[in-house]
Amino acid sequence: MRDRTYGSAGPIPLRGNSALASVRRSRRDGAIDLLFVAPVLVLVVSLLAYPLVSGMALSLHAARGFELTNFVGLENYARAILGDAVFHRSLLNTVLFTAAAVVLQIGIGLVLAVLVADARRGRWLLIMVFTAPFVLASVAAGAVWKFLYAPYFGLAPTIGAALGLDTATVAPLADSSTALWAILAAFVWRFAGFTMVVYLAGIQGISRDYYDYAVLEGAGRWRRLRDITWPMLWPQTFALVMLGTIGTLRVFDMVWIMTAGGPSHATETVSTYVYATAFRFFDVGYAQAMAMVLLVVILLLTALEYRILNRRAEMVSS
Amino acid sequence: MISVRRPRGTTLLLGALAVVWFYPVAWTLSNAVRSSADIYRAPWDLAWPPDIGNISEAWNRGQLGQALTNSALVTAMTVLLVLALSVSGAYALTRLRPPGRAVLFLVVLAPLIIPTEVVIVPLFSMYRALGLINSLPGLALVNAVANVSFATVILAAYFRTIPQEVIDAARVDGAGRVDVLLRIVVPIAKPGVLAVAVLVAVFTWNDFGGALVLLQDPDAFTVQLALTRFTTFYSTDQGLTFAGMAIVIVPPLLLFLVLHRSFVRGLTAATPRR
Repeated sequence: MRDRTYGSAGPIPLRGNSALASVRRSRRDGAIDLLFVAPVLVLVVSLLAYPLVSGMALSLHAARGFELTNFVGLENYARAILGDAVFHRSLLNTVLFTAAAVVLQIGIGLVLAVLVADARRGRWLLIMVFTAPFVLASVAAGAVWKFLYAPYFGLAPTIGAALGLDTATVAPLADSSTALWAILAAFVWRFAGFTMVVYLAGIQGISRDYYDYAVLEGAGRWRRLRDITWPMLWPQTFALVMLGTIGTLRVFDMVWIMTAGGPSHATETVSTYVYATAFRFFDVGYAQAMAMVLLVVILLLTALEYRILNRRAEMVSS
Repeated sequence: MISVRRPRGTTLLLGALAVVWFYPVAWTLSNAVRSSADIYRAPWDLAWPPDIGNISEAWNRGQLGQALTNSALVTAMTVLLVLALSVSGAYALTRLRPPGRAVLFLVVLAPLIIPTEVVIVPLFSMYRALGLINSLPGLALVNAVANVSFATVILAAYFRTIPQEVIDAARVDGAGRVDVLLRIVVPIAKPGVLAVAVLVAVFTWNDFGGALVLLQDPDAFTVQLALTRFTTFYSTDQGLTFAGMAIVIVPPLLLFLVLHRSFVRGLTAATPRR
């Protein structure tokens, strides 16, 4: 598609590196164009780039209460990566949580999308039901699920009582082997609606002919899902995996509200540990070093996923 | 077209999933209009007749009126700021030719990859030095950074669909960049603008981490912080807690109820589609 741009003289068709075009398009035009995107740049630079750089400096210092005391080089990093068992636990929790969350959100979102796509009546009502948790504040969502998981009062005790089982003291959030997965359930409940609507939009773009032909060939629902729907939704899956990874590695809100990282760091994630270290123990340089490690993990995982998944995405969209 | 009859099984499955998904929300709203004694007696019953006593009590005890105002202010400021920035930014990136467009794109998308949690510590330090702790506009700025990236992506997707011929015609008529933006591009992309506004409003209202770090004075608390304090303080009074939660979740839910199509449109605009 021919790219067209305009300078002060009106619309000019540009062909590649036409010298005539570059003469007509003055530097002033480019500068004015830049003005439109300048405010965003200023905001991002001042509130993201600058803190990032000063954060790097912060991570190389020991600090008490946000005043830098002395330069310690990579000591904070060494302490985190080599010596801090809580940090190791938090990193492991974060990565496991993210992997499980992404897989579940995609799986459940796809199933929901396929089911809802077939719904003839009340489709928007269904969409709203599954997307409503996404609209709920993390504080509220966390609080509700805390109630649901509560001993004596919550879901398990109530259902157990109805079935005649003694589950009154079942408390998933207080048990270090189940707490993280309990939070995971709440987390997936909250975000599956998002993957669902993305897949739904994608499904509506798949030509019905494929399915009609498959039905003629005698393919059942499962085969149609596996051989038509799933491959054709690969671009969506790719995007959702990337977004999901980035969005989940940073998880803080729901974990903080439901367990604050407990019991005994069983649900500690990197973000909760960074927060606690910086704002409760005021070991600010160390906290930032851990945050930087998280950033590196995010970048590495994202780049890795991009490499692995992009190849298949290109195959599908062509 | 061949129609395939849906087996009863999938309808049931869908119904069951819908109930599971909706239950926590319905339960919260239901319990918000019951007395605490009633909830204690039978936590899973329906609220009948509704008793709004706890709601007014939660409002007063949690100073939720002040918090609601704070949240509304931060949300309004953030939405306006993000709209202004993302509209002009998306316009520049898709319809104008600023130098170094690829680099600019990367910078605008950076907040998507570098989450707030990674810079919140130096950000706090910076805000403290600037005296911006407990500042609602200050919080709005941070929220704006967090939201401007996807807002720009959504609007860019919409702006790209506008045929260049329409813009060219306007340019021939002597319209400047701003005229084209305000009189042609934005009106055509109005659904996208609305979608961005709704999404940013909901996300900002629900923001917890940013407010937790940057607001220390209870008078400046947003509704999420007030709710957290409230639920911790009154955790034994379930009725009060549910009432407080209901007050906090109702505004976004109402917005969502009215503008759900916009909301969903916004969520899907930025992801691949055929």
